[in-house]
Amino acid sequence: MRTLNFAKRNFKEIMRDPLSIIFAVLLPLFLLFIFQQFHIPNQSYELQNFTPGILVFGFSFITLFTGMLVSKDRTTSLLIRLGISPMRPVEYILGYLLSVLPIIAIQNILFFILAVILGLKFSINLIFAMLASVLISLLFIAVGIIIGSLCSEKASSGISSIIVQLVCFTSGMYFPKEALGKVFATICEWLPFESCVTIIKEILNDRSETISARNIAVFSLYTTVFFVLAIVVFRQKMTSDNKA
Amino acid sequence: MLAIETKNLIKKFKEKTAVNGINLTVNQGELFALLGTNGAGKTTTIKMLSTLILPTAGEIKINGMDIRKDRQRIKAILNVSPQETAIAPNLSVKENLEFMAGVYQIPHKQEKITQLVKLFQLEEVLKQKAKTLSGGWQRKVSIALALINDPEILFLDEPTLGLDVIARKELWKIIESLKGKITVILTTHYMEEAESLSDRIGIMSAGNLVAVGTAQALMEQSGTQNFEDAFVKIATGGDLS
Ligand SMILES: Nc1ncnc2c1ncn2[C@@H]1O[C@H](COP(=O)(O)OP(=O)(O)OP(=O)(O)O)[C@@H](O)[C@H]1O
Ligand SMILES: [Mg+2]
Repeated sequence: MRTLNFAKRNFKEIMRDPLSIIFAVLLPLFLLFIFQQFHIPNQSYELQNFTPGILVFGFSFITLFTGMLVSKDRTTSLLIRLGISPMRPVEYILGYLLSVLPIIAIQNILFFILAVILGLKFSINLIFAMLASVLISLLFIAVGIIIGSLCSEKASSGISSIIVQLVCFTSGMYFPKEALGKVFATICEWLPFESCVTIIKEILNDRSETISARNIAVFSLYTTVFFVLAIVVFRQKMTSDNKA
Repeated sequence: MLAIETKNLIKKFKEKTAVNGINLTVNQGELFALLGTNGAGKTTTIKMLSTLILPTAGEIKINGMDIRKDRQRIKAILNVSPQETAIAPNLSVKENLEFMAGVYQIPHKQEKITQLVKLFQLEEVLKQKAKTLSGGWQRKVSIALALINDPEILFLDEPTLGLDVIARKELWKIIESLKGKITVILTTHYMEEAESLSDRIGIMSAGNLVAVGTAQALMEQSGTQNFEDAFVKIATGGDLS
């Protein structure tokens, strides 16, 4: 399969330049560890609430380096060769997607192991939360592909760090969305990041019935739209005059 | 049947006209050299013929198939060695060959790879990461990759750029061995290369195809004794002679 072949190559390419992965795994791990040492008297920072936030925070780094991978590929003439080959845009997108999934898995496993070591209660819900978070990660991969298709490598890392910031502020991981007033709360509700954290959090804490239809709708809508957009943008770039 | 046929092929980049209404035919099995000064439009023409970019106007038929309608089918039967070396930097030479074999879904891929390794004498660099190879070796690998799908039509954009004399002679041998079997379109700035390898030569100047013929015919047409003079005279419209 062309998709698998491309994913294999991407994965090798990522693993042989491992700085960005180390970043995507170690930084969230460090934050998870350090915030637990402060014993902040606030619900947000209790392990069962903070771990899902850290997970989604980790995904925003996936956006960062998916973006960089795609933009780097576009600027090397390897993409000229591939652009002439029979590979289809969908195969590229799925190939990029599959190649970062192992890294998502590594993140997931390490974050939860650390959380359990720090005192998170182990239960079957933890496994369900992991599975849900893989689904959630798709959104972040799609955003990365779009950014990488549109921007240079430098600009990609800049724009992706906006996503990192958005996750910090609008996901409710550090403070509840109501803390900054009504307008801000509404913005959070209509951006996808708060829904991402909520879905994982409620599954982890065995309260999946409290996941609202809005949470599901917002997440699904963004993810679907971004994937379609990723394919459209990538296809457009592949046949355009100026690939860089 | 014609391997390539273009009708009034035009490519504009915003205001700049890179290719200005080319009518070109290349026969199946022919080795056709495309010459021209820097910026004449050779690479742009190759990019359009090889499905990488779309023409602004005009028609292209590859083996009788339309470039806009039969894109996928055309892609399967051609390949390109781009002007800039195109390889995956963090993969070894062997992995590069395997990767491209996968892209084209080559059925007996190890056989094909072994054959290419032998043809291009890649044994000694097989395990080396592509980005650590010298420029000339990268070039050779890049050309080898273009043969992975046994293309019926092969585009070589300045294939011998950066190769030492011996490597160049070896590549000429390889190209000659392809002659008659597959259609090859080659661009080069080395006149002796075009003269000795090709069946016919096309000369481009400022986006136009200003002359087409055998080296002999082009020399007669321009009334010169050697091919280099003929090229200069035709490409400059006689200003330099
Ligand atoms: N993507 C692009 N955007 C704008 N202009 C372009 C683009 N690609 C090529 N051109 C212009 O089109 C013209 C033809 O370029 P092309 O690369 O086809 O020339 P060439 O004959 O291959 O030259 P060389 O021998 O230097 O490789 C040049 O003036 C070039 O600047
Ligand atoms: Mg060129």
